[in-house]
Amino acid sequence: MEGRARVVAWLGREILPHEAAVRVWLRRSFAAAGDVDDILQETYCRLAALSNIEHIGEPRAYFFQAARSVALEQIRRARVVRIETVSEIEALDLALEDPSAERIVSGRRELERVRGLIAALPDRCRKIFELRKIEGLPQREIARRLGVTENVVENEAVRGLRAILAAMTEQDASAGAKGLREKTDGRSRKRR
Amino acid sequence: MVDRESAADIEAAAARWVVRVDRDGDEPGVRAELEAWLAGDRRRRGAYARAEAGWTHLGSASVLALETPEPVPAPLLRRRGVIGGLGLLAASLAAVVVAPRLLAKRYGTALGEIRRVPMADGSVAAINTSSELEISMRPRLRAVRLERGEAWFAVAKDPDRPFVVESGPVRVRAVGTAFSVRKHEAGSDILVTEGVVEVWTDGQAPRRVVAGQRVFADNGVGVQAAPKADDNLARQLAWRDGQIVLDGQTLAEAAAEFNRYNDRKIEVADPRLAGERFVGWFRTNDPEGFAQAAATTFNGQVLTSGESIVLQAG
Repeated sequence: MEGRARVVAWLGREILPHEAAVRVWLRRSFAAAGDVDDILQETYCRLAALSNIEHIGEPRAYFFQAARSVALEQIRRARVVRIETVSEIEALDLALEDPSAERIVSGRRELERVRGLIAALPDRCRKIFELRKIEGLPQREIARRLGVTENVVENEAVRGLRAILAAMTEQDASAGAKGLREKTDGRSRKRR
Repeated sequence: MVDRESAADIEAAAARWVVRVDRDGDEPGVRAELEAWLAGDRRRRGAYARAEAGWTHLGSASVLALETPEPVPAPLLRRRGVIGGLGLLAASLAAVVVAPRLLAKRYGTALGEIRRVPMADGSVAAINTSSELEISMRPRLRAVRLERGEAWFAVAKDPDRPFVVESGPVRVRAVGTAFSVRKHEAGSDILVTEGVVEVWTDGQAPRRVVAGQRVFADNGVGVQAAPKADDNLARQLAWRDGQIVLDGQTLAEAAAEFNRYNDRKIEVADPRLAGERFVGWFRTNDPEGFAQAAATTFNGQVLTSGESIVLQAG
């Protein structure tokens, strides 16, 4: 568990911030956004299975490489492939060198970003996130303080986490906002 | 085969699992159910790891801003940043390389602001609300001048370079230890959380204060009373995490504490309420939350008008 916790923290710190860039690059190669989500989930599965992350000096490049190999496997499996897909996929180095890509995220800016994401949540949802993530109260205690059931706290937390993940990975901002406004069921939500 | 589960459905379920584990993760049943769910599809493992990573990363919101040393005061520094031409990276590298050579750096906090500042020698200062200090890293001395307010220092061990805080005429010296100094009109409060420090004023013999103790050093006569053990230091240093922890303080004392951090001042208008004692845990920037909780507990009411929050009898 110890090792896994380290990998998870590493994913949050070094990988998630680059998801938006990987997503853009994948989307250029794959028409359907659904495919991109599949590829990313498979990629995260592989990254999470790493037992050792010390050797990864360039997490961003590593993330691109991992996504690329997942994508190539999918292409091999598919029967018909648009020829430009392969050439785009081969053009990985270009994507990596994208000068607009943010290579350096300072600790302070990242913290501000995380705080900003929490601050942008709707009121009750934000309150719950602050109590949980900034003050470290357990969900049960939050429910007691706010005078709501634990299920309400759980649902709001799920809703907030999804909105924040969407915002962190910069999927078109409207998807995040939509997730926020939606009822908390969540299962019915389809990404555009 | 039935319809393939969509990535969006998996994503939603994964977020739900992360929050559920956060809530009830200690229950073996929950873990087992999670494992069963994860085993169903590799993409679920991926989505779960991603959601977990996001959730964990949010926890970093509770860490105080860990700043790179302010690259402001020396023009030299700015020039290097520009010559380096690589923007942020170069600037931060330059700051690391050049910082030890700079003689003094000033740090200030605004009302309600709390800053954590790493120093070139590996020490860290946490600076409380409305404070100002200057840090000079010299070859044989690490000197901090606290001009106003309060700061806590975790001092990196370096026997050849003592770490001395100057707070008015009061001096606090440490080698490798952690302590806070709060400057008042008449003297300074020193709280030691680790190791040993020596406290003195001009002409006075240094007094040793050890971990878990506090002492007040008067500007004129220095340390009079012997250092007192205080098992409540953690509570009094909760500000480092942006918190005020109350453990039996009166509402009047608590209000004064909140007023250190906020423009909107709390006024306890009712003498009975002012003497009531309170236990609770608040954020320094949430005086309304505190006032509301106090009013509810003691049958008072809160009147908010402009810049003031008045607690009065209900």
